Amino acid sequence: MKYAPEAAAEAIHIENLHKKFGELHVLKGVSLSARDGDVVAIIGGSGSGKSTLLRCINCLENPTSGLIRVNGEEIKLKADSHGHTVPADRRQIERIRSRLGMVFQSFNLWSHMTLIENVIEVPIHVLGVQRDEAVANAERLLARVGLSEKRDVYPAFLSGGQQQRGAIARALAIEPRVMLFDEPTSALDPELVGEVLKVIGDLAQEGRTMILVTHEMKFARKVATHVVYLYNGLVEEEGPPEAIFGAPRSDRLKKFLHNVH
Amino acid sequence: MAEPATARLVDAGARASLWLQPHRIGLIAVGVVLVVCAALFMRWDWLPNYYGLALEGIWRTLWILVVTCVLGFMLAVPIGLVQVTGPRWLSVPAYWFCTVIRGTPLLLQLWFLYYGLGSLFPQYPWIRESFLWPYLRQAWPYAVLSLTLSYAAYEGEVMRGAFAGVARGQLEAARAFGMSRWKVFRRIWLPQAIYRALPTLTGETVLQLKATPLVATITVVDIYAVASRVRQSTFIVYEPLLLLAVVYLCITGILVFAFRKLEARIPARLG
Amino acid sequence: MSPPGWGGNLLRGLFNSVLIAAGAYSIGIMVGIAGAFGKLYGGPVLRDLLELYTTIVRAVPELVLILLLYFAGTDLINRLLEAFGYQRIDINGLVAGICVLGIVQGAYSTEVIRGAILAIPQGQIEAARAYGMSPGLLLRRITLPAMLPFAIPGLANLWLIATKDTALLAIVGFNELTQETRTAASTTKAYFTFFLVAGALYLLLTLFSNVIIARVEKWARRGMHVESH
Ligand SMILES: Nc1ncnc2c1ncn2[C@@H]1O[C@H](COP(=O)(O)OP(=O)(O)OP(=O)(O)O)[C@@H](O)[C@H]1O
Ligand SMILES: [Mg+2]
Repeated sequence: MKYAPEAAAEAIHIENLHKKFGELHVLKGVSLSARDGDVVAIIGGSGSGKSTLLRCINCLENPTSGLIRVNGEEIKLKADSHGHTVPADRRQIERIRSRLGMVFQSFNLWSHMTLIENVIEVPIHVLGVQRDEAVANAERLLARVGLSEKRDVYPAFLSGGQQQRGAIARALAIEPRVMLFDEPTSALDPELVGEVLKVIGDLAQEGRTMILVTHEMKFARKVATHVVYLYNGLVEEEGPPEAIFGAPRSDRLKKFLHNVH
Repeated sequence: MAEPATARLVDAGARASLWLQPHRIGLIAVGVVLVVCAALFMRWDWLPNYYGLALEGIWRTLWILVVTCVLGFMLAVPIGLVQVTGPRWLSVPAYWFCTVIRGTPLLLQLWFLYYGLGSLFPQYPWIRESFLWPYLRQAWPYAVLSLTLSYAAYEGEVMRGAFAGVARGQLEAARAFGMSRWKVFRRIWLPQAIYRALPTLTGETVLQLKATPLVATITVVDIYAVASRVRQSTFIVYEPLLLLAVVYLCITGILVFAFRKLEARIPARLG
Repeated sequence: MSPPGWGGNLLRGLFNSVLIAAGAYSIGIMVGIAGAFGKLYGGPVLRDLLELYTTIVRAVPELVLILLLYFAGTDLINRLLEAFGYQRIDINGLVAGICVLGIVQGAYSTEVIRGAILAIPQGQIEAARAYGMSPGLLLRRITLPAMLPFAIPGLANLWLIATKDTALLAIVGFNELTQETRTAASTTKAYFTFFLVAGALYLLLTLFSNVIIARVEKWARRGMHVESH
């Protein structure tokens, strides 16, 4: 069992999070927390709010209400003139975001930059790292995800799997406190899924803290320290992977796992 | 197709209320105040004297617009076509015609025809004796010619793309069913190319409208020339120009509206 | 036939034309960037005002706008000067021409740039936000460069329009190429020759621009697949 020691510091803490898109109540009071070294897998049916939950963590979506703490720092929110909740302090959000390495389903590499330019962009321009230092680090990371030869290639000329590995290198380059993955393999052709999962698996092995939304149940079972099953905007069941996958309690989870397999 | 009238009414009402947001009412109020101020505090006493001339000017502007667009489009079709399929001795001149016209200012073309050609003609007795001479001495044929050529060049470029864009397979299919070359062109190729070119017509026609005032520089009295005349003889600067801008805005509005109606009637046959 | 010196006049006219076009074009792009952002992210009032601006400028002939803005602009500045107790000044025709054409170009650039920004895959902007870029940095490093390949065909076309629109300033008596040509032609009575030469100069300018545009376009599309037609 790979439980993180109790002494590990809290990385992410979410309490009673609500999110509405107009009338649509997507998250209905979700709580979640992750300590350093945790790998939290979020599973659930389509439309259950997994992506929304992940995107609330770095305020790509503004939560309607609730509490979010990243690295012990609470995200300050306020109501704007239309009654929507918005970040109270833009600088704070930017600072928090620059330590959260997000990996998207559709890669979202910047198309006007080569691969290495993508990787050094944030370290240089957001974190203020020296250029040669950033480049050396980027080369190391690209080697690590097996893309050394592709450093000067534009994203449009890479396969989906290569783009996603590049995107992971981009996330690693900021030395993230927590990595956020939103279905990193669902936009890939089946034969390319393995290479990306391998990279993510290695990162998990290494003790990286991550929150991972995924449809790859076998993979989640293998790498996660904690699994959260989301149903219709609520945490239906959570626990260690052995319990969730081996002895699910709720009928919905049973049905979900049955359908996925 | 035939949706119930009430549904359409409700729809229109919803759209109107969406359009008429509170801040728009404020903006409209400001606009109305501006118009009232303009009407009260600016000088409009010249208007009655020039009323008739202005109507004539508008008429002439519209007339030039319609004639040159129709003639220009008729020219644009062969110009586009020969560039796609024509023999070299046709396609090369057509290409250069488009390049030259699109690469030089319309004002220069107009002056070239009126002053340049116009200054050459009287040197040749056979031209002076021909039946065309009474027309060649006037300004409007030069205006019509240069605006027509300009429209033909810009729309010819569009037609070239439109002809080239029709899938080869469809033309081959038509030939395979035994249509003659001419029939393939008339029944399949041309209609499809025109459908493709239609969306550009609105824009090109508005541009053509905006080009018409240039004819005033060669003494054709369009609505712009009338406004200039008011300015020169009464020394009133802003009023005629403002009214002129409003006239062009109205004509553009009508054009855009008319073309939109026209496009809506043409079924979307292209995927 | 043409006395020596007319050629120099024509070249000086061409130089003025290029200068006006370049100035107007730069102003147009700056107005366009501001206008596009206003239209996309501005408040409702700003958006409506910008819509009014682009609609009017694109519906009213350039010639009318030039006269209106030229007269109104110089008049306004002089009235302001007088109100503050300064002497009236003669507004430099070149500066006035550049500004007026710039405002006209700005309306078209606004639409081009707005369309180009909308064409950027939304995920790339989102990624930049997710990594903590501030709005200014995002604009400079991601939005502007990423929209370029989509904007360049439209912006290139606007440059060609700018070079040709400079001819309109001949009507307000500014000595750009078309006006120089007319002066030369009416003095020497060699209308045909001079207009032909001026046409050739404009055409050369366009063809030369096309070569440059092709290079810029190739550079801007470096990150994109070559589309085969
Ligand atoms: N920006 C938005 N505006 C309005 N509704 C949205 C928005 N984003 C998401 N939704 C809605 O919120 C619900 C949850 O979406 P979310 O993307 O979080 O689901 P998900 O669990 O990630 O699903 P999937 O597995 O398909 O990615 C869906 O019904 C979706 O339509
Ligand atoms: Mg999702």
